[in-house]
Amino acid sequence: MSRLRRDPRSERSRHRVEGAARPRFDLAAAPSGLHGRARRDPRAEFRLAQVPGTARLRLDRTQRVAALDLAPAARAPEPQAGPRLVAIPEPAFLVAAVPDAPGGRLTPHDRQLLGAARLLADAGGGAVLVLAGAPADELARAGADRVLALPVTGYDPEARAMALQAVLAGLDIRHVLLPESPEGGDLARRLAALTGEPLFAGAESLTARAVTRPAAGRRTEQRMVPPRLLTLAADAAAAHAGTLHEALEVAFAFPPLPPGAILSADDVPADPSRVPLAEADFVVSAGNGITDFASFHDLVEALHATPGASRVVCDAGLMPRAAQVGASGTVLEARCYFALGIAGAPQHLQGVARCEHVVAVNTDLHAAMIERAGLAVVADAQKVMPALLSLLAEKAADAETHDAGAGESEAEAVDA
Amino acid sequence: MREPMNVAVLLSAGHHPVSGRACPVPVEMQAIGLGNALGAEMTGLHAGPASETIADALGHGLARLVHLKIGEADDPLASLIAALGTEKSALVLAGRVGQGGEDSGLLPYALARALGLPVVPDASALREGPEPSTLLVEQALPRGARRRLMVRLPALVTVHPAAPAPLPFAYAARRRGVVEERAGIASPRGERAIEERAYRPRPKLIAKSAAGASAAERLKAATEAASGGGRVLVDPPPEEAAREILAHLRDIGVLRG
Repeated sequence: MSRLRRDPRSERSRHRVEGAARPRFDLAAAPSGLHGRARRDPRAEFRLAQVPGTARLRLDRTQRVAALDLAPAARAPEPQAGPRLVAIPEPAFLVAAVPDAPGGRLTPHDRQLLGAARLLADAGGGAVLVLAGAPADELARAGADRVLALPVTGYDPEARAMALQAVLAGLDIRHVLLPESPEGGDLARRLAALTGEPLFAGAESLTARAVTRPAAGRRTEQRMVPPRLLTLAADAAAAHAGTLHEALEVAFAFPPLPPGAILSADDVPADPSRVPLAEADFVVSAGNGITDFASFHDLVEALHATPGASRVVCDAGLMPRAAQVGASGTVLEARCYFALGIAGAPQHLQGVARCEHVVAVNTDLHAAMIERAGLAVVADAQKVMPALLSLLAEKAADAETHDAGAGESEAEAVDA
Repeated sequence: MREPMNVAVLLSAGHHPVSGRACPVPVEMQAIGLGNALGAEMTGLHAGPASETIADALGHGLARLVHLKIGEADDPLASLIAALGTEKSALVLAGRVGQGGEDSGLLPYALARALGLPVVPDASALREGPEPSTLLVEQALPRGARRRLMVRLPALVTVHPAAPAPLPFAYAARRRGVVEERAGIASPRGERAIEERAYRPRPKLIAKSAAGASAAERLKAATEAASGGGRVLVDPPPEEAAREILAHLRDIGVLRG
């Protein structure tokens, strides 16, 4: 530990008053040179920390506002460089990834799958071929070089497997990756049975040189050089980020596919009131800002959602304990979380961490839930709920009259 | 009155996930329950070395069990193909992933391929179809959704854990059940260039910025949105807020209609 040595003479000379005939020193005044630390002005700091635009006093001690005020205005904002586009015109080989993409949207597991395919392709100058239909810009961001949609509509996994087999036979594909999800796992096993190739199922770690999976009841680990056909467990590989890829459409002539043994298939949507919270797709949750629980339940039903609640509400006995979201309740896997009157304690946000979309209504602009949300409305949830209910009722009535009109016109057509 | 269907249930040598001791696989016991609900004549099929616990499946509502004796290193596929060829089952039920082997879940698919049967995965309920030799299968999908399928028999159906709970174990039923022991077909597994070692749990992926950071930063990374900040509407009239919220929900595709 060393401190700068004091120089009493120069310190004294800094207090010298200029212009006098004989040397005069004003020791009470601040030194003329800008030496040492500037004196703090707590009142000015307080003023700068005040967040404008709120009725009640709020201080932002992180000094973000103050820093913005003090920042030199002349400094131009740095141009935001978009992600770099990477083109692979002549790939050495192809790595095929077959994401589930339910409804044409990539799931987080699908993105991880494309990240893994990217890793295998980049190790040897290959390109990633995505065998599914999804928006091109979404695929480009996820790291797809080529895109080829399989010509199968409806639920016919055997036909999908045959189409995949045709692609495997027709193109130079070194690896085929599928997600170890109900649909992807099923397709991978069908493909393995069709082609007679060994399947490396449920890979838990993956590099260009080695891939591992648990076997024999998770007591042994199998490890090998990445084989041709493998499925990837969830959260085993990182999604691709940083560069943009071309996602070029590839032309391929599929052979005619024979009809499968499945005579009919109807999708039955889940009954949201019976689905357990951990599996629910869309959760509407009530917090301390909600007092009218009758209209909250009406809203949940009108939105076809699963009801949730914060700890405060469950502790008060206003909602069942099974509905509690958060670290001590249920950790959600939902696609969308709609928080009404919830500020967002860290324990609550942990329960929402895996939700893809968050919509929040809260009176506090600086609540953590507002910061987390994709769409945040700073308003009283008690007033927004009736507005939502009346709008949904209007839409439902419109749809009914429209359906009735369509039915009448059909009946007329039959009569004519 | 139709004749009762012949249903074969594939049973594997399960291990308890915590203790590691031999025990029946729950989803295969659920398959026995589904077959019994159809009013079918059930036969259990197991190919493997001698084991005490295989016969425990009899205590969960199975009347007859065929045990095909093969060696530790043999592939059960050939024995099962031969046995199912003679059994003439209209329906073959199996768990999603059989235990005791590599746990790849490939055996039902390879078996169905060899026997020329269609595979229907993840059944949670079974009913007889409207026409003879058809079957209505309720398939369990993620997030509690279901799919109703009609398939032509014979078929191989794998069972999902969302199927009704199995019958509880009854010792008298276990004593009453018949175990038929036959010699299986010895078919050693082909050599694959796979290295095996003791299992080591791999860490799940966490956000990159949070790796190795302080606890507060890890919590922040776990609770913050992956994709930056969103749109904020400050003090809109309730009607406008409602319109914006519904439009957003429709955009992300969670709102039907």
